[in-house]
Amino acid sequence: MTDAAAELRGISKRFDAVVANDGVDLVLRRGTIHAVMGENGAGKSTLMSILFGLLRPDSGQILVGGVERHFRGPLDAIAAGLGMVHQHFRLFDSMTVAENVVYGAEPRRRGRLDRTAAAERVRELSDRYGLDTDPDSVVGTLSAGARQRVEILKALHRDAEILILDEPTAVLTPVEVDSLFAVLRRAADEGATVVLVTHKIHEVLAISDEVTVLRDARVTGRFRTAEATGSALVQSMTGREVTEVANAGTGEPGDEALQVTGLTVVDRGVHRVRDVSFTVRRGEIVGVAGVSGNGQREVVAAILGTGSAESGEIRLLGRDVASLDVRRRRAIGLAVVPEDRRGEGMAVTMTTAENLALGHHRTAPIGASRGWRRGWLSLRAQRDMARRLIADYDVRTSGERQPVGALSGGNAQKVVIARELSHRAPVLIAEQPTQGVDIGAIESIHQRLLDYRRDGGAVLLVSHEIAELQALADRVLVMFAGRIVAEYSRADATTARIGAAMAGTGESSRSEGGAS
Amino acid sequence: MTAATPTEAPEPRGAAARRLFRLAARHPGVVPVGAVVLAVLIGAAIIAAAGLDPITAYSAVLQGALEPDSLDYTFSVWGFTCGMALAAAIPLRMGEFNLGGNGQLVLGGLAATVVAGALPGPLAVPLAVLAAAVLAAAFGAVSAPLATRFKIPIIISTLLLSPIAVAVVSFLVRFPLAEAGSGVAQTARLPEDARMWSIGDLSYSNVGLLILVAMMAVFWIVDSRTAVGFELRVVGANRRFGAYGGVVVGRLALGAMAAAGAAAGIVGAVIVLSSPYRLIDGALLSPGYTFAGFAAALLAGGRPLLIPVTSVLFAVLQVGGAAMERTADVPRQLSDLLQGVVIIVLALRTVLDAGRTGRSEH
Ligand SMILES: Nc1ncnc2c1ncn2[C@@H]1O[C@H](COP(=O)(O)OP(=O)(O)OP(=O)(O)O)[C@@H](O)[C@H]1O
Ligand SMILES: [Mg+2]
Repeated sequence: MTDAAAELRGISKRFDAVVANDGVDLVLRRGTIHAVMGENGAGKSTLMSILFGLLRPDSGQILVGGVERHFRGPLDAIAAGLGMVHQHFRLFDSMTVAENVVYGAEPRRRGRLDRTAAAERVRELSDRYGLDTDPDSVVGTLSAGARQRVEILKALHRDAEILILDEPTAVLTPVEVDSLFAVLRRAADEGATVVLVTHKIHEVLAISDEVTVLRDARVTGRFRTAEATGSALVQSMTGREVTEVANAGTGEPGDEALQVTGLTVVDRGVHRVRDVSFTVRRGEIVGVAGVSGNGQREVVAAILGTGSAESGEIRLLGRDVASLDVRRRRAIGLAVVPEDRRGEGMAVTMTTAENLALGHHRTAPIGASRGWRRGWLSLRAQRDMARRLIADYDVRTSGERQPVGALSGGNAQKVVIARELSHRAPVLIAEQPTQGVDIGAIESIHQRLLDYRRDGGAVLLVSHEIAELQALADRVLVMFAGRIVAEYSRADATTARIGAAMAGTGESSRSEGGAS
Repeated sequence: MTAATPTEAPEPRGAAARRLFRLAARHPGVVPVGAVVLAVLIGAAIIAAAGLDPITAYSAVLQGALEPDSLDYTFSVWGFTCGMALAAAIPLRMGEFNLGGNGQLVLGGLAATVVAGALPGPLAVPLAVLAAAVLAAAFGAVSAPLATRFKIPIIISTLLLSPIAVAVVSFLVRFPLAEAGSGVAQTARLPEDARMWSIGDLSYSNVGLLILVAMMAVFWIVDSRTAVGFELRVVGANRRFGAYGGVVVGRLALGAMAAAGAAAGIVGAVIVLSSPYRLIDGALLSPGYTFAGFAAALLAGGRPLLIPVTSVLFAVLQVGGAAMERTADVPRQLSDLLQGVVIIVLALRTVLDAGRTGRSEH
């Protein structure tokens, strides 16, 4: 193949006992968008890290532009024309877009950063690729989608001809995904080559030209997207069919388990949440839709107790929690799957067992050691619980003693889900519960949330995925600019309505009851 | 696009060895051991630059510290280093730096002196140790609410409060508590029954040392087997994760700082209750146990089982340094220098870790 921008041949990589890549071949044709799919732990991120010089393969060749390369680190890869957009962004929040973009490769005048040239460069790149980014805005004030565009600009500024994106859409809303794809298509048309890791079939079908599927460290399928079907991809990824589950809407909700009334959150003079009221009853899943940064995080933090509220009342199982700390609120019956998995949901350096134990460590272990006394850890119970949850949730790990940071992204997410769901708390808040997990795991997590509802749990489901909300929620609230601007019952929650309300252009409708 | 020169030769020779090396280089023990090795090498270079023989100097250190006659003394220095390492390690476990060891140490010495002097009798020793622990714990604990309520980082408040305590104790020793008629700034000698019980006929190592060893054991058990120890480690690994999981971080910091203060205070008590049985201005601080303990804790990464090991290193340096000065003519300040190098290397590691490009989100 003469038009290969880059090629991986027979790449193998193992981490101690775990084989992450086993003789993987990947050809990236110039000017195309190449999707890489596969179950959690299949080895996608490892392969991308190898291509970008972050990891070195145990064996195999990397060819860029037909020449074999031995990258000693990402700087070598960048010099060879590769660029990677990292999922957790590596940007300086207090600096402007332009400063971030040129950082490390600054245009200089008389030895100093030439700000005008930097801004000019950003403007030029933005125009060329349709990135719609203001060079002078401060990165800390930008939404996730906009920050990602800054990452892309950084790569383009360094003349990247091959762009690697590992699960770029996991944190984006549908509108942001669309604009990202427009940018990628434009880049490919300009001759760039894009490699994209994603778990979402519809995205793959919508954007890619070719697909490579990995399973258990090997390539199990190569497709031209034009000839591929969703079910063929799923079959190739999982070796089975995946059936989507949905809320049948059966059963009547019970008592009010979570009541939020007039919640207002002010952060450094800015109103993040304004007068938000809603309730979640037992046996009910209430969805919250919205572009990230419209107050959802702050609402969750106020309920959990990690954030403060300016005014308003929060009741858990009827109890006003204003004066209670996080531990007491959790003791009353609250569990939370946080959006920020690495920052808030786990301690990457601690073992899987320890990560699963937090929150359980002060309660008597289930059916375990007679000798247990309050305040002591039961390491045996900790281990047994970890093994049980790892099996139940199909976490791919080399054992409960493996540090969570060494798990693949989707498997780390399963650990967080397993820990929080196993509290069996009456009230569960799940923020982006399926971020980063593969299709099979999405359905199994959805099924668990439905089981939670069936068993009388009150679930607040915060999600960017309209389809997820439609599948699971009994009611959908839409947040925009810190307010709940719309509420739809299951039947009324159409994609068009939710989408319009998320953009702040839907007519304000809060017809259903349930609030205040 | 600037092309990097592609390197030829698919698998260069020695690649396997290099891979093994890289694997080994990732072991968590590498940096601490490397820090020590580097410190020793730098020390050797300095000694050599001064025209002296590094081998002679280092063997003087080892001999001075480990010859049978000095073991008793080395052992006691090791105990004090361990104690002060504990004062640093407990907060370090939750990611906080206690730089107030000096203040906590002298307050412990003060409390022990006052109580032992005022209440002679069979209970004098335990009460003195208890008083030292309580006063120093209270002083250490002050930093926790300052951090929780007023957002003054513990590293700052301990650093700033410590000299105040040192100055106050110094004042008390010079004036109100000074031994009448003595030209030296020191308190009166403690009565017989207010002296730390000895072990056999050892002159430096006494029961106080056993108390310090017991404290190390308690720290190990708490750290690995209790809910509080687990929370300490969780907060140290990721503070937000801890808070989200229901750890009351402020209360934990209060406990950790109080425990750290108590450890330092007990070291102070053991020192004044040992020969020469009095509180002498500056005598608690001049051996530099606080700094050595801090370095030992840092080198051990706060891990309870490693602290006794790393403390050996600093105790040997401390005791052997004096011997080296005598026999090899190398100033003992070299041991301070080596401690400093160890800390700098460890600090560099933190900086490098923060700047290194790790894995992207997978
Ligand atoms: N640094 C590491 N140390 C040990 N094992 C690792 C390390 N990095 C990855 N692994 C293991 O390698 C395998 C592949 O991981 P990788 O992150 O490539 O998966 P992935 O396909 O990106 O999965 P996901 O869809 O969940 O992100 C996993 O079993 C993982 O646990
Ligand atoms: Mg991955």
